[in-house]
Amino acid sequence: MKKDPNRKKVILLLRWTAIIVTSYLIFFSKGRVTDLHLSHLLIFGYIFSNLLLTFLPKTWFSNPKFFFFLVLIDTGIVSFGLYLSEKMATDFFIVFFLIIIFASMGRNFKLLMVIGGLTAFIYGALLYSWGLLISAESSSYVLRIPFIFIMTAFYGYIVQTLTQEKHQELTISEDKYRGLFENANEGIIILRNPRGQIADVNREVERASGYAKEELLQNEFLDLFAPEEIEKTRDYLKEVAEKGGARADYLSLKKKDGTFMEVDLSIKRIDLGDESFYQVIIRDLTNQRKLEKRIRESKRNLEAIFDGIGDQLSLQAPNYEILRVNKAVIKNCQRTYQELIGKKCYEAYYQRSLPCERCPVSVTIETKQPASSIMKLPEINGALQIFSYPILDEKENLNSVIEYVKDITEEQRLQEQLIQSEKLAGIGILASGITHEINNPLTGIIGMAEVALEEEDVSKNKDYLGDILNCAQRIGEIVKGLKSYSRAAKREDLSPVNLNEVLEESLKMVQLAIKKDTVEVIKNFQPIGKIRANAGEIQQVFINLITNAFQAMDGKGGKLVLSTRSLRDLVEVKVIDEGMGIPQKCINQIFDPFFTTKKPGEGTGLGLNIVYRIITKYEGTITVESKENMGTTFTIQFPKRREGS
Amino acid sequence: MSKKILVVDDEEVIRKFLGIQLAKLGYEVKEAVDGEQAMEQLRKDAFDLLICDIAMPKKDGWEVIKEVKSDPKMKEMPVIVLTAKNEDSDMFKGYDEGANYYMTKPFTKDQLLYGLKMMFGEN
Repeated sequence: MKKDPNRKKVILLLRWTAIIVTSYLIFFSKGRVTDLHLSHLLIFGYIFSNLLLTFLPKTWFSNPKFFFFLVLIDTGIVSFGLYLSEKMATDFFIVFFLIIIFASMGRNFKLLMVIGGLTAFIYGALLYSWGLLISAESSSYVLRIPFIFIMTAFYGYIVQTLTQEKHQELTISEDKYRGLFENANEGIIILRNPRGQIADVNREVERASGYAKEELLQNEFLDLFAPEEIEKTRDYLKEVAEKGGARADYLSLKKKDGTFMEVDLSIKRIDLGDESFYQVIIRDLTNQRKLEKRIRESKRNLEAIFDGIGDQLSLQAPNYEILRVNKAVIKNCQRTYQELIGKKCYEAYYQRSLPCERCPVSVTIETKQPASSIMKLPEINGALQIFSYPILDEKENLNSVIEYVKDITEEQRLQEQLIQSEKLAGIGILASGITHEINNPLTGIIGMAEVALEEEDVSKNKDYLGDILNCAQRIGEIVKGLKSYSRAAKREDLSPVNLNEVLEESLKMVQLAIKKDTVEVIKNFQPIGKIRANAGEIQQVFINLITNAFQAMDGKGGKLVLSTRSLRDLVEVKVIDEGMGIPQKCINQIFDPFFTTKKPGEGTGLGLNIVYRIITKYEGTITVESKENMGTTFTIQFPKRREGS
Repeated sequence: MSKKILVVDDEEVIRKFLGIQLAKLGYEVKEAVDGEQAMEQLRKDAFDLLICDIAMPKKDGWEVIKEVKSDPKMKEMPVIVLTAKNEDSDMFKGYDEGANYYMTKPFTKDQLLYGLKMMFGEN
C-alpha cells in the first residue's frame, strides 16, 4: 500500500493551525469564557498532545485506528473549546457540525475546498447582512470565517486520505484477483449465459486450447466442444442452466490445431448484484489420462505376474482373511475366486478352525518380519514350503501379508533320492576298501584249503582248518559291519538315535574300508542323550566326515579326534583331523553340491552337501574351521530332543 | 642249490600257506611282515624272487619295489606283486613300478604255479 510520506507533517501543521484558531476563539472572545482554568488546561492539553505527536513514528499516522482516534480527540477538543466560549455556542456548533458533514461527504479535496470557501463566504455574507461584522464583538465573528475554512481543510484532508487509502486497497485487491484468475492452473472461462458467448478467459484456456483470447471471445461456448459430443454438451449446459451449476467428466475440447483434449468441467453460476455470471473451470485431463493409463498398465502387469506365478500366492489381512489369490490357488483348491475371498485361509484351504501350527503367516503377523517354514500337513499328501512377507503402510503398521506356498513334495522326493544315490556311491567307495579286507582272509582260506587237500598227514589238517575257520570268522565280522551300513541305505522312520553309538559304528565302518595305521583315533564321548532322527542318515553324516578326515591325513598321519558333548539346549559332535586342511578360497564352497577337490572317481562332490542337507533337515547346524596343513574341525550341533517328543 | 624266495605280507595265514606250498616245490622261503622287515632281509641276503603284498603297515609294497628297482644289486631280481585291490589302475601301476608279475587276491595254487613259471621259465 502506498503511504503518503508527508502525512505526519501535514497533520501536525493542520493541528497547530487548529490550536491557534481554537485558542484565539477562547481567549479573544471578550471575556465570555466560562471557566478560565479549564480553558488553559484544554489549550495546554491540545499543545501538549501535538508536541507528543511530533515524537511518534510516521507509521502510526498511517494506521487507520490511530487516525480515527486522533480525529475523535481533535473533534472533542475543538467542540469543548467552542463550548467554553459560551456565547458562540448557539449557532457556532451548527457551523462546526456542518463542516464535519461537508468534510465527510467530500470525495474530492479540491471540491471540498471550494465548498469550504463557499460556506465561509456565505457565512461571512450572512454575518455581514446581520450587521455582526461591524459590531463591538465583530472580531470574534470575523474569526469564524477562517475557522470554517481551516476546519474544513483539516477534516477534508483526513477524509480524503482515508478514502484514497480505501481506493488504493480496492485497486490492489482487484489486481490480486485478476492475477489469481489469469494465473490459475486450471482454465477458467466466464460466461454471461451458458449457451452464450464467452465473456472472459484466463491464460490457461489460451494455452490449452491454442486460441488467443480475442478469438475465443468471438465464439460461443458450445463451439469449443467436439462435434460428436455436441448433444452431450448441450444436455450438460441445460442442466447447468436449470440447477445453477453442474460438473461434467470427460468432455472433448477442440483445440485450434484440430486435435482434442479431454477435460473435466465444473460450471457454477455466480450472482453479483443484478448480474449473473457462469464460471467454468476446465481441468485438462491429458496428464491424468496418461497417468491413469500407466497405473492401469502397471496394475495389469502386476496382476499378470501375480496370476502367472505357478506357485500359490495369496494376499491376506492380518486376521488371516483372504484378500486376493492367484490362479494357482484357485486351481489347487478347486474353488472359485469368490468362494475363497473373505474366508480365513485355514478355513478355505484346509477346513480348519484355527491357524495351522508353525504357520509363517502368524509369525509375520506377530513380528512384521518375513518368515518361512516347511509344513507337512496331513490334509495334503506332501510337503509345502510357505513363505510370508509383510506389507506395511506408511506408519509401519501391518497392512497385509503375502503368503507364498511352494509345493516341495517333488523336490523333497528328489532330495531323498539324491541322498540315497550318494549313499550308494558311498557304498561303492566303501566296497572297494572292504573288498581288500575280505580278499585277504579269503586268500588265506583258499590257500590253506588247497594245502589241506594236498596234505597226506591228516593230523596236520586240524591246524590248517583252524586257520581257515579263523579267516572265515573274520569275513563274518566284516559282513556284520556292512549290515549296519546297509541299514543306512534303507528309508526308516524317525526314532531316538544315540549319537555316540552311531559315531562308534561309523568309525568302525570307515576303518574297515580305509586302513590307516598312521592315524591315531581319540574318542572323547560324553553322555549326550538321544536325538530324534533317522539313524541311517546320521550314520551317513558321520561316515562321510570320518572318511574325509582319514583321506585328509593320507600319507601324513596324525590324530583323529571324535568328541561329543552336551550343551544347554544342544548336543554337539566334533570331528577333528590333523590333515591337509581346506584352502581358504574353497571353504565357502565345500557344502555346495558337486564341489570337490578330489580326482574324478574318488569323490562325487555330494558328500558334504548331503551332510549339510541331512543336518539342516533335523534343524541342526554344521560349521567348519580349517587351517591349511594343520587340520580341519567340523562342528555339528543338534537341538536337544524336547521332553515327550 | 635251491632258489631263495622272500614272501612279504602282513597277513600271517597268507605267509603260512605260501611258505608251505613253496617249500613243497623245493624253494627256500623267508618271510617278512612289513616293508621295513623286507628291506632288512633283502639287504642282508640275496634272493631269487620277491613276492610282496602292497597294503602293509610302516612301509607299503610300492616303496619296497621302488627301493628294490633302484638298487643296482637287486634290480635284476624278479618281483611278484600280491594285492587285494583288483582294479586295473593298480595293475598298471604295479607294472610301471617295475613288478614282473601281478597277482590279485584271492588266488589259487595254479595261479601261483603259473606265476613262478613265468618268473623262472620251464623250471
